[in-house]
Amino acid sequence: MSHLLEAIGLEKTFRSHGREVHAVADVSLRLSAGEALGIVGESGCGKTTTARMLLRLEEVSAGTILFENDDITHLRGAALRQFRARAQLVFQNPFDALNPRFSIRRSLTEPLRNFGVPRAEHTDRIHDALARVRLTPPAAWLDRHPHELSGGQLQRVVLARALLPGPRLIVADEPVSMLDVSVRAGILNLLREARDTLGLGAIYISHDLALIRYVCERTIVMYLGRIVEEGPTAELIAAPAHPYTRALVAAVPVAHVDQDRSALPIRGNLSDAPRTGAGCAFQDRCLHAMARCSDETPALRMISPGRKVACHLDGVPS
Amino acid sequence: MSLLEIDDLRVTYAGRVRAVDGVTLDVPQGSITGLVGESGCGKSTLGRALMGVLPGVGAITGGRIVFEGRDILALSERERRALRWRRMAFIPQTAMNALDPVQRLSAQMREVLIERGGLSRQDAALRAVELFRLVGLDPARLAAYPHQFSGGMRQRASIALALALSPALVIADEPVTALDVIVQRQILDVLRHLQSSLGLAMILVTHDMAVVAYACDRVAVMYAGQIVETGPVAEVLARPLHPYTMGLTHAFPDVHDAHMTLVPIEGSPPSLLNPPPGCRFAARCPFADARCHAEAPPPRMLAPDHRVACFHAEDAPALRRRAAEPATWLTVP
Repeated sequence: MSHLLEAIGLEKTFRSHGREVHAVADVSLRLSAGEALGIVGESGCGKTTTARMLLRLEEVSAGTILFENDDITHLRGAALRQFRARAQLVFQNPFDALNPRFSIRRSLTEPLRNFGVPRAEHTDRIHDALARVRLTPPAAWLDRHPHELSGGQLQRVVLARALLPGPRLIVADEPVSMLDVSVRAGILNLLREARDTLGLGAIYISHDLALIRYVCERTIVMYLGRIVEEGPTAELIAAPAHPYTRALVAAVPVAHVDQDRSALPIRGNLSDAPRTGAGCAFQDRCLHAMARCSDETPALRMISPGRKVACHLDGVPS
Repeated sequence: MSLLEIDDLRVTYAGRVRAVDGVTLDVPQGSITGLVGESGCGKSTLGRALMGVLPGVGAITGGRIVFEGRDILALSERERRALRWRRMAFIPQTAMNALDPVQRLSAQMREVLIERGGLSRQDAALRAVELFRLVGLDPARLAAYPHQFSGGMRQRASIALALALSPALVIADEPVTALDVIVQRQILDVLRHLQSSLGLAMILVTHDMAVVAYACDRVAVMYAGQIVETGPVAEVLARPLHPYTMGLTHAFPDVHDAHMTLVPIEGSPPSLLNPPPGCRFAARCPFADARCHAEAPPPRMLAPDHRVACFHAEDAPALRRRAAEPATWLTVP
């Protein structure tokens, strides 16, 4: 089966204080058209860097990215611009995603011009995009400026702008984290709807597993630059196979009074454990680490159809 | 008697924006009260007004704050300053706002303990070690600078600093918002542990109902400068009486719920420059009628210890059923 997007062995290394730091190490993933994939993890896990590499906003240090079966890893010039129209980013912060001095009309016309859409099509396409994000009638919105809109309305404009060039892939990095709770649901529902009706592939980046569960059927969990677990979101939450996933699931706050308040199944702080040596990156924080974990980096292996884990354990002891 | 009694408090920005507009709230001894609401609802302003650290354009224009039996708005600036740190302390959202980036943590601890608390150098050093242990930090790290700490460790350090002089009340403004989920949970556990072991009272200002559910005993829900509902967390979450609270409980996803449909609350809060005469939530409320738009509903006690400001609260059981239906919220113009 062909995929909308495929990444093989992505690496990103930075030099910091003369040392090589692996921000992303050996990340491979696949996404079909119409599918939503979540990438979840804490700050510094490499999820945003991975997303930026997939969109060619960040150069890869190694690895290959295929988009609609074409190798786009090193695209330049016109070909890269064409790719940008097909793969769009939804910004995290709607408050600085739009130029405050531009009217909504101008903010939405700009990308159409950049991607060479004929002028005659502009009005129809802009109206269509605004309808998709429920900013109707268009006339009520087009002449406004960002400061006249609420955060939720701004994020709708940002989403409309991302949909305008007719992308096949959208990547949303924490798409609602800057918004008030009461309007988050509206944006998430619109994202779900856009994917369903347009058959887009979508990648969501978030630290919030509850949000990921709402929008993604499949999820990748990252820790310190590596994929530690991958699987159908519901299974991964119900029965985490990696000790880190288990801690992450247990940490998600829920709005019930009756809930488990026992200590999280994890040791220490992230900053206590920047490992560069051999073995599993999670070993210092793992409650189940064995001798093997410090000698041998666990490979990502299949444990059941669609589920992979990078851990030497056979299942997490409860 | 409650530790803190807020009565009809009003805070105005630039003389015109009614950021806190008639808030009445009791904070009992030894409890964690969640003050929950969205951006601009006045929750942080309320917290800052209690601490006496409003920004320059903000002023208290009415009401009373009675803390440990004293009307603190009647105190002189000097007396008020004496209360800060010693009787009530503040934990800001970003620990960097509480910590001095160019001073070692030990020096910052010493400053509070010796200059504000009047401890001897020797006692201050012992107390600093004790405080670091209390919040789960290694006392050996007292010599570190804030930038050498992770976000979670910095927040622990700012909690230690807030607790330095054993205050009776701690006001924490979004203390975990900027942190990752695992660290968030660890910090909430620190706060819960401190509250129960030291018996202090805490006001936890947050936008996140799940944080309230995890850490608080009581909750006050704020909307557009006013408190719309207060009560024990278990009661308010299970049987919300105000339509805004009902809406909030359906507005964010639950990690353990596979078939949830999220329901947004359409629209946005009114301007606090010129708020509408009636209920401030009326324009977004699917149950509002003519009276709601014309008249402000006063807070009423409807169940033991459970107050609400809504004319329709008697119908809450039926409204809760309707609020769970997405279609209900689409009817709002």
